[in-house]
Amino acid sequence: MATKSSSRRTAQERARQIVAAQRKAQERQRRLLIAGAAVAVVLVALGVLVAVKFLGNGGGSTTPDTTAADPAVITALTTIPPAVFDQVGPGTVDTLPKVISGEPPLKSGDKPLVLYVGAEYCPFCAAQRWAVVAALARFGTFTNLGQTHSASNDVFPNTPTLSFHGMTYTSDHLVFQGVETQTNVLAGNSYTALDSLSAEQDAIARKYNAAPFVDSKSAGSIPFVDLGNIALISGASFSPKLFAGKTAKQISDQLSTPGSTVTQAIVGTANALTTLLCRMTNNQPATVCSSAGATAYKDKLNA
Amino acid sequence: MPRTVVGAPAPTTATVPRWVPLTSLVLAVAGLGVAAYLTYEHYTQGTTLACPDTGAINCAKVTSSDQSYVFGVPVALLGLLFFVALVPLCLPLAWRSAQPAVRWGRVAAVSVGVLFVFYLIYAELFLIGSICLWCTAVHVLTLALFAVVALGTASMDTTSER
Repeated sequence: MATKSSSRRTAQERARQIVAAQRKAQERQRRLLIAGAAVAVVLVALGVLVAVKFLGNGGGSTTPDTTAADPAVITALTTIPPAVFDQVGPGTVDTLPKVISGEPPLKSGDKPLVLYVGAEYCPFCAAQRWAVVAALARFGTFTNLGQTHSASNDVFPNTPTLSFHGMTYTSDHLVFQGVETQTNVLAGNSYTALDSLSAEQDAIARKYNAAPFVDSKSAGSIPFVDLGNIALISGASFSPKLFAGKTAKQISDQLSTPGSTVTQAIVGTANALTTLLCRMTNNQPATVCSSAGATAYKDKLNA
Repeated sequence: MPRTVVGAPAPTTATVPRWVPLTSLVLAVAGLGVAAYLTYEHYTQGTTLACPDTGAINCAKVTSSDQSYVFGVPVALLGLLFFVALVPLCLPLAWRSAQPAVRWGRVAAVSVGVLFVFYLIYAELFLIGSICLWCTAVHVLTLALFAVVALGTASMDTTSER
């Protein structure tokens, strides 16, 4: 009798265990379903986010507003008094051009060549152009420089600047080629195309805008400037932050004041470039290349 | 001689599929590595004054944007702290713990992480207009961690030790 009762209890206990195990399995199944649904919801939501971006209009566009440069701006920039170059001397330059050696001189015809590659949207190109124009204006004459600003949706938005697109540069001493590959007008996730590099320019950029000629971190970046294969620039020499909130006219108006932070950066960089340009032109013109400004970086740049 | 407290709850342990602790730990450690790199870059200002010729892929633009700070704290640092907290929670020992605080703390952490990833991806796509591949790596790792932790927690079996 006792044995019968005991085996019945055992059977009941086993049944209870089976039911409990089934419930547990069902519960785990339910939890897995909820967790799986949560993961699926996250993935779908992310997919929607990406699809909205890439199937949409790409975030709108900006109005093209590159115009002919204000003559007052150009005059102020291209006729900086020699005394200002001399007083500024080294100025305030974050990154100097990198001097290279052992490469064949870069020439166009019989003149040394300076190649600039940049884009209108790029805020660092925007900063660098001021110094490039200030330095080259001591060796020749620019015509048809444009005036524009960097992209409004990038870092240092709307940095005022000039554009080399469509300009000409004449000099007895050297050749300057300025290529602006893109505008500041959004097209999808990039900007509309502008100038194309010639095969020669492309070959130069591919070879020299790469390690070990430039820092591997900035390789392939713009602005890229090849100064006759004696020095290279990959990136701006100073931060565009200096120009925040200023118009092109406000910047150019400061260029006659040596103590201005804007002048210290633009003219200091121009002096570094002038030191190298003088090496390329065998110190011509002599009035420029013998000045205190043009020799301020002679030791640092081995020129 | 240790005394046994009669009536005290028995210590508990949790069982979880073996792949869960291992996968989650690998993901958390990888996330810690990438987040540490991004934080180092942030504080050493490793970005150059240049525009990379890579179209929409532009780490400098992303990491120097207004959205790279939340309440004044660098996002990179928040990411690092997130993974620093998550690594111990993803250790096999932590997965074996049946303590609800550990289990739900881990779920809460990855859930907050996923919400933050949503904001950061939205910021990259719609506010900044560029993508940072290092940040994307962190986003992918966080999403994968969320999936592993969610599914791992759901498949957990918490039983009393006897």
